[in-house]
Formats: sequence, C-alpha cells, structure tokens
Amino acid sequence: MIRIAAVGDVHVDKDVVGRYRPALEELPDRADVLLIAGDLTRHGTVDEAKCFATEFGGLGVPVVVVLGNHDHQSDRQDDVTRVLTDSGITVLEGAATVLKIGGHRLGIAGTKGFGGGFKGACASNFGEREMKDFVGTAERYADALRDALRSVQVDALVALTHYAPVPETLAGEPLEIFAFLGCYQLGQAIDDAPTALALHGHAHHGSERGRTPGGVPVRNVAHPVIKQAYNVYQLLSGTVDTKDTQLANV
Amino acid sequence: MTKQIDLEAEIHRLLAEHDRIAEQGVTVQRRENVLVLGGEVESAQRRDEICRQITTRYPDLEIACDIGITRTQAPAEVEEIS
Ligand SMILES: [Fe+2]
Ligand SMILES: [Fe+2]
Repeated sequence: MIRIAAVGDVHVDKDVVGRYRPALEELPDRADVLLIAGDLTRHGTVDEAKCFATEFGGLGVPVVVVLGNHDHQSDRQDDVTRVLTDSGITVLEGAATVLKIGGHRLGIAGTKGFGGGFKGACASNFGEREMKDFVGTAERYADALRDALRSVQVDALVALTHYAPVPETLAGEPLEIFAFLGCYQLGQAIDDAPTALALHGHAHHGSERGRTPGGVPVRNVAHPVIKQAYNVYQLLSGTVDTKDTQLANV
Repeated sequence: MTKQIDLEAEIHRLLAEHDRIAEQGVTVQRRENVLVLGGEVESAQRRDEICRQITTRYPDLEIACDIGITRTQAPAEVEEIS
C-alpha cells in the first residue's frame, strides 16, 4: 500500500507561514509522500519560495512539487526551483522521480502543463503566431509529461500537473474559462502511460473527481476544492509491504 | 455604478494584477444595490486587503464580503484509488 498526501494552490507568502504546519506535522503517520500541484506561491518571488520551503520543508516525508502559473509571475521560476531544491523539495518539470515506499516503487511524473481547452472547445495550432505559440506551448508541456511518465518502470505511476487534464474536475468554474484551466493533451499523455492516478490544481472553483477518456482517476486537489490541508489517496491496496523506504533519483 | 457592464471584468483584473493581491479565485456577483465577493483565500489579511482595494477604487460601491479563509485541518479520511 502507498498513501499519497496531496494539495495544490497553497499560494504561500509570509501571511500563510504556520497555518499548514500543525496538519503537516501529522504527515508521517498519515502518508508516505506529499505531492503539491503548483501555485506554491503568490507571485513566484524568491522570498515567497523561502516561505513555502519553511512551511512545507523538513516534514519527515518526501515532498514532490510542480510549479503553477503564479510561480511564473515574476519570471524567477528558475530561482524558485533552486530555493525549493536546496530545501530538499523535489521540483518536477517534464521529469519523473521514483520513491521506494514499503518495498514498492512509486513513480511521480510532473509538469506545470498549460491551457488550450478540451474536445469540442479547444484552441487549434492555426492562424496568428500568438495562437500557434499558445497551442504549441500546451503541446510542449503535454509531450514532456508523456515522456516523463514513460521514463520510469514502477509499481504505481502518478501524474502531477498544475493545469487540468480533463474538464470534469473543472465543474463549478465558468465554462468560458475552461480553455485557460487545462487541455485535453495532458489527458492524452496520461492515457499513453500506465498511470494509476492524476493529480492537478489551478481550478479553485472546480470539483474533486473525474476520469480521463482512458479511465485514469483524476483528482483536483486545489486547496479551496478539498478544503483541508491535504487529501490522502491510497494506491496498491492489498499488496504486501516491507520496511524499505528511500528516495531513488532517476 | 457607471459602466456597469465592465465592472466584474475590471474587478477580476484588479484582484489578479494588483501587486498585493494576485487572486484569481474571487467571484464577483452583482445584487440590486450591493456587490457580493465570494470564494476563498489563504489568510484573513488577504481577504481584508481585497475589500480595502475595491473600496478604494470604487468608493461609491456597496460591498458585501463573503470571502472565506480556506481551512487547513488534517483530513479525517483516506480515499482508496482503484
Ligand atoms: Fe491557484
Ligand atoms: Fe493556477
């Protein structure tokens, strides 16, 4: 069994430091790993990244994150990534990591992702340069996710994104902005690998559960959606565990 | 409330683009004489700053602030994925 704690859109700045900590201190008893689905900060500044690392670092379980659009706001995403990495947090962008948990191999592949919309209401790679750039960006992130998912051989594979891979978990958001909240290409990438669970954030007014066209469970873990410090999802229920837990980088 | 049509859009952009706010998850709904703000943010300071900025920008507007602070308790249950 593997227990995955997950949340997104914590938007940390000075005023949030300390709020999550009591629930986070309980993590080692409740979960094997914490995944955070982007929008770690408000404006993506180095100071905010330090606040995030203070709040979500040193937890006694591995912490694996992707960045969100807010973490790009100040064009300092590389510095933000460095601050987090220096604090022992694994930041995924078109990459995967493998954790050994109870004798099982858990693979996590992550990307921020991008918008573009979903079947029947999506942008096309056509027309003005700006439009092609927009759709091309979405495709680039989705391709990176597909490659990352396929790069590991594991017992349980999780996809971690900020933008949504399916429209079901956006229910509650205005239809008019679905194209800014996710894209179907992320869902296709998830379906092109033996993914067990897909986690995303970004849609603060969305809903929690959906599935990809290929049947992979999708969970929107944006903080205002789950309304608690984190959710816990259990994978590989009914398997035999051993004591061996360690981080193996791929 | 002049230029009523653009008001919600203007406020959405103010909340997203203002240096000290950067919120995209706040809803804006117009009632007869009052503008109702909804959604959830991460701290009471953020909620108060949102109301302060809107009041400053639109001094004639009556505002009802129903913005909540997202709770941060540990979960009581585990979901089995299959
Ligand atoms: Fe967010
Ligand atoms: Fe976001």
